Amino acid sequence: MSNGKTQINRRTALKGLGAGTLAASGVLPGSLGFAQAQSSAPIKIGFQKHATGIGAAYGRWYDATTTAAVARINDMGGINGRPVEIVTEDDGTDPKRGAEVLEKFATQHNCDVAFGTLFSHVVIGSAPRAGELKLPYFVVSEGHHVASGMLNRYTLQPGITDVKSQVKSMAPFVGDNLGKKVTMIYPDFAFGHDHRDFFSEAIEAQGGEVVAKIAIPPTETSFTRYFPNIPRETEVVYHVMVGPGVLTFVKELGEFFGPSRPEIFGFIDSLEAVSINSPGLEFLEGTYFWEGNPRHAQANQTEFDKAYREAVGVDEMGASTADAKDVSTYAHMFGCWETLNIIKAGMESAHYQGPGDRAKLIEAVEAMTDMPESMDHPQGPKRFNGKTHQTFGVQYISKVENGKLVVQHTASIEDGMYEDEVDYTTQSF
Amino acid sequence: MCRASVLSGLSILLMCSAGPALAHAAEQGFVLLLPTQAYAIGGTMTVAASIVLVTCLPIDILERFFRPVTLPNTLALRGVAAGSSWIGTGVFLGLIWIGWAGPTDPQENLLPLTLWTVWWIALFVVQGLVMDIWRWVNPWTGPASLLSRRTPPLRLPAHWHAWPAVLIFLLFQCFILADIAPSDPPRLAAFAIGYWVFTLVGMSLCGADRWGRQVECFTVLFQLIGTLRPVHLWHRAKAGAPGWFSLSSGPLDSSHAVFCLVILASGSFDGLHETFWWLAKLGINPLEFPGRSAVIWPSTIGLIGANLALVVVFAFSVWIGVRALAVLGKSPPLPFGLAFNTFAISILPIALGYHFSHYLVSFMVQIQYMLIALGDPLGRGATLFGLADLRVTTGFLNTADTVKVIWLTQAFAVVFSHVLSVLMAHHMASKFCRSNKDMLLLQVGLSVLMISYTIFGLWLLAVPRGA
Repeated sequence: MSNGKTQINRRTALKGLGAGTLAASGVLPGSLGFAQAQSSAPIKIGFQKHATGIGAAYGRWYDATTTAAVARINDMGGINGRPVEIVTEDDGTDPKRGAEVLEKFATQHNCDVAFGTLFSHVVIGSAPRAGELKLPYFVVSEGHHVASGMLNRYTLQPGITDVKSQVKSMAPFVGDNLGKKVTMIYPDFAFGHDHRDFFSEAIEAQGGEVVAKIAIPPTETSFTRYFPNIPRETEVVYHVMVGPGVLTFVKELGEFFGPSRPEIFGFIDSLEAVSINSPGLEFLEGTYFWEGNPRHAQANQTEFDKAYREAVGVDEMGASTADAKDVSTYAHMFGCWETLNIIKAGMESAHYQGPGDRAKLIEAVEAMTDMPESMDHPQGPKRFNGKTHQTFGVQYISKVENGKLVVQHTASIEDGMYEDEVDYTTQSF
Repeated sequence: MCRASVLSGLSILLMCSAGPALAHAAEQGFVLLLPTQAYAIGGTMTVAASIVLVTCLPIDILERFFRPVTLPNTLALRGVAAGSSWIGTGVFLGLIWIGWAGPTDPQENLLPLTLWTVWWIALFVVQGLVMDIWRWVNPWTGPASLLSRRTPPLRLPAHWHAWPAVLIFLLFQCFILADIAPSDPPRLAAFAIGYWVFTLVGMSLCGADRWGRQVECFTVLFQLIGTLRPVHLWHRAKAGAPGWFSLSSGPLDSSHAVFCLVILASGSFDGLHETFWWLAKLGINPLEFPGRSAVIWPSTIGLIGANLALVVVFAFSVWIGVRALAVLGKSPPLPFGLAFNTFAISILPIALGYHFSHYLVSFMVQIQYMLIALGDPLGRGATLFGLADLRVTTGFLNTADTVKVIWLTQAFAVVFSHVLSVLMAHHMASKFCRSNKDMLLLQVGLSVLMISYTIFGLWLLAVPRGA
């Protein structure tokens, strides 16, 4: 449980903040202080955290990533010479509470912006309030709801790609390398339906087809009776099962197919925060996964990924450096790191001084386009679409080889692009 | 487009639910791979076997089992406990201040961490197994001793018994289960200080002892649960099998008897309302649980319904036994009220066992946050006691081996508590019956209830949860 010296927890972040304050007051030497700021008051970023509720595991890792990112920003001199302070409130992974929390950020804590939300229903429940409060709301949710146009100009998703882009970018690799005839197995509700619809369209564009769509009721815990519905002609099984039954699903799928199986492709979301070497998952050997960010450090690991892992306290297997069994939500949490760096870049570009400059901040972020892979963007390069408020980026396809997720293909930014569905810049502030 | 739903998958360590139940088993995926059905059959057979065995054994064996031994009574603790209450008061008020002025994140703020993890989860268990800790930390005893007058200005009607405490305890359970944010530090601080002031005023006006016995629900709760402890140092120090003191405190009055049932029913519903089964009844997809705000009324109504249901089922079980004894037995007829108020005591071990099982995983996670928060109570970057460098881990929920150990520990607590309950009920029945056959008749309904509740308890541990 001890913290290595390279790991950053909230306290070291706060110490960094304290050091920044000292630097701002001229006590500390060096050029990285906050001395140039017109105001030494901290930039306050409201962190809408899933501390409780069904998102709590993600909340914990989003928190760790946020803390590490802010410590780094403060170590580099903060934003516009001012230290950054994170104000954390628990949204309970609840949309109503989420909206209340945004109100607290704006009215009680005097936050400059709000940030961090993951679960789509919390984003959708909170975004209207952000619009009413005129509070820039940077979400890290992956939902297509931002780019679909259902939210507002104050809500942006610049640090993580959305599910539509992720699914679309998988189709070329699946069609070219795994097979053209795909059977989809998905949970029978909105999330599964998104995958069904987005992927069906994308694979057809590749000359492939979905030969069967097997919807599993969300409360199902045994799956064997659904497998006979997989057509014999199936070349690829595409699965996006979630819920407590995932391990059972994989185990039963393995028992059903035995040694001769079609290719298997899934989304790592099913097994986020779970070791790929868990008992029952042996069947996954040789199968493929989408990964937002490769959990296991690759042979050609970038210096950025290495430094990022060190900063957030994650080892080369994607687990906590304090406990190798504590697997992180590695495929998603980079979004917090990158979003905070985008907020920083946006505020610096807008010469942000206070809440009066919020509109300028949004315009500055909307003006962003390409963001190269760097320490600010360790997951890979991004391309932000200011009209749709959605970023696009590279996606990874990994294969389980000897219990390790080894990247086989990196889908390009272009693979995930799609037509704009909204232009938020036409909305007034 | 509901990307959120994906995150409610196996990957999620469901640290969710109510105020205290911040950490629930996401290890559900591993639990589903365990042969829980076989374990459940084994546990149920154990309880059933204990019923058969105890019926066949001569009653004096059970009598000896529950007979305490006297300990050297050298401790004069009453004055010390009164003094320590002041420390409890100080700590409580300090926590209230931290609730308002400390970190806004409930997992960094000592108020929710202390109240839900240390007080509600741990103290409850310690009170029932180890020592009368509530007497030492009760935040009212000290101040009330200053404010109480020899003759209180108001008098609580004696015939109210502990019914006000029953009602307040139910309201407390509503807060845990149905409030939208029971762990939000300022919100919790407001509720806690409000109840503290309410209680202190009540004790000042009506007398601390009287208020503590009739209205202050936690004192009533911890007194009832505390009777299960093997060792009792107050009055005459004695030690015996768990529950020996509970047996000597019966029969209860109706309010205390119902209180015993409310403890169990509320704890059971806390587990039930997270299950896929319950959410399906509400028409909610457990993989995209919409949040506590969406189920405030179902949770409230369900909690009240669960309590009513258990009281009715328990009363019916007792009534069947009483009627069977009257019709088929040779012992003197037993008034239903006396039987109800007596056998309700046997529910206490199950309530304690459920509490332990239900909150075990929460405790294992949250106590880590608690330790870290102790290293930096105000969230200002302090590094006291070297605790700030700790990192929370939930790796033990990601590993099949540890999940199995945790699950079996929980199941053992459920089964053991039912066996103890069977033994206690049989001991109590022996006071009313002249033969083993009559004892069997008197407990026929209760035996079915015990076995059924064992199945229910083990089922709760095994089924997937989603809220």
